Amino acid sequence: MARILSGVMMAMLMLAIVVAADEAAISGIVKAVDTAKQTVTLESTSGGKTRQVVVHLKPGARVVKFVRAAEPGKTGFVEQQLALTDVRPGWVVSVETKHEGDREVAELVKVVLER
Amino acid sequence: MRSRALMLLVGSGAFLALALWIARPPASLANGDKDHEDKGGHAHVPAPLEYADAHMPLGAWTDPAMIARGKEIYAVRCAVCHGDAGDGKGPAGVALPLKPSDFRDKAGVAEMRDNYWFWRVSEGGQVEPFRSKGSAMPPWKGELSVQDRWAVMTYQHTFSGHQGPHVPSEHPESVAVGRDIYVMACVPCHGVDGKGDGTVAATLSPRRAPQPRDLTTAEFKFRSTPSGHLPATADLFRTVTEGVRGPGGLMTLGLRGYRIMPSFRHMPEAQRLEVIEYVKSLNAGFRERSEVKLVSLPAAPPVTPERIARGKKLYADAECLACHGERGRGDGPSAPTLKDNRELPIAATDLTRPERFKSGARPEDVYRTLMTGLAGTPMPSYGDSLEPDQSWDLVYYVLSLSRAGRRRAGAATN
Repeated sequence: MARILSGVMMAMLMLAIVVAADEAAISGIVKAVDTAKQTVTLESTSGGKTRQVVVHLKPGARVVKFVRAAEPGKTGFVEQQLALTDVRPGWVVSVETKHEGDREVAELVKVVLER
Repeated sequence: MRSRALMLLVGSGAFLALALWIARPPASLANGDKDHEDKGGHAHVPAPLEYADAHMPLGAWTDPAMIARGKEIYAVRCAVCHGDAGDGKGPAGVALPLKPSDFRDKAGVAEMRDNYWFWRVSEGGQVEPFRSKGSAMPPWKGELSVQDRWAVMTYQHTFSGHQGPHVPSEHPESVAVGRDIYVMACVPCHGVDGKGDGTVAATLSPRRAPQPRDLTTAEFKFRSTPSGHLPATADLFRTVTEGVRGPGGLMTLGLRGYRIMPSFRHMPEAQRLEVIEYVKSLNAGFRERSEVKLVSLPAAPPVTPERIARGKKLYADAECLACHGERGRGDGPSAPTLKDNRELPIAATDLTRPERFKSGARPEDVYRTLMTGLAGTPMPSYGDSLEPDQSWDLVYYVLSLSRAGRRRAGAATN
């Protein structure tokens, strides 16, 4: 029983580390977009240090911005999907990244500000 | 057997919760700041000097036209992050590591001073400490006029539910840090109410000027603003930082460098700015003025013998020697009769001792003093009677009266 208990706990610890430790929300200014490699390079500041992060977009990843609903009577925001080619250096975006191997990968890029 | 399985399940669940807590994303990876997030995106730091005089006109806070204009701008520029309800939960904001401000947070909004708010809207997250915290807030100064930035602030202010103007008299908590510093550092001389009547005041310079400033009146000596105007925040900062040079009584013997007001250079800059914001809250004039007009300070020309000679003539023509004396030693014929506006005897400054000049002894300091005068003292403003070039002539002559002054003049123009 003790073996089972310790085994389950180890498995859960590993699961927790895999699930939680490598997820991070990053926001930053787009420095470069590589449509061939499906990457977005962000300049992001964390803990007083500015660094460049190359975010790899997973196949099927979405890039969205938020626009006012055009339907009469609706006043909120709705998602509008963009192509990666639409994203321009200088825009501010946020991504929820996961660490896979030595890469930061994301499934969703949210445009915060176009400029 | 069932109870064992139950225990295993509960134990595993607890262990999983503990593991998730331990393995939460390290701060070095995410660029958010959890403590900061909890405060709705606010970091209560004083606005820097270049924004410190940016006080919104009082009536604007509750002006329906301003609020309506602000609402239009907010819907287009701000709501995507701060939310239509001002709750900091706009669709683009919820994913940000550093959460946008929640303007419904009454306590948080009450602590924000208008100049801080204007600074944040103007510079966004591009300035420290917000940049280091990973703020995605864009700077709006390039896209919104000053009026539009004021307008959007008036609309954001409505989310807090506060009805009146957003000023320290309505929100004493916005100057609470400065008040605490004031109580510790300033009350003995300037008094609890800032009227210059602290318990130590009378002993600083008994029955003579200078006396501690009454911070509630419009009369401030050390300014870069025209005669009759309140000082700029930068002027107050300079005075707090440098202290005030002058002859004092026994109580000032411990102060370094012939000072009647100590230098607070050792105090962290943020604390000096905080206490100045409190001092400004004692005088409604700082918020009632629509803009801060500064006297122009042209670049110092090179010092030449001809310029000094012209300055010497001006020194006589402008009757400087009546108080300061022919050789600038503060021993002119009028010197013994000089009084300040409290009818207290006041000494004419010895111009051969530049280290004792109350408002500084660099050429630009002397120029500024000539342009503004020293309010409340017999020293008048020459801003209307001297051309800039003539003023520089006079500045260089005054500095030529001492070796230290000549050195300062030379250093400034070389």
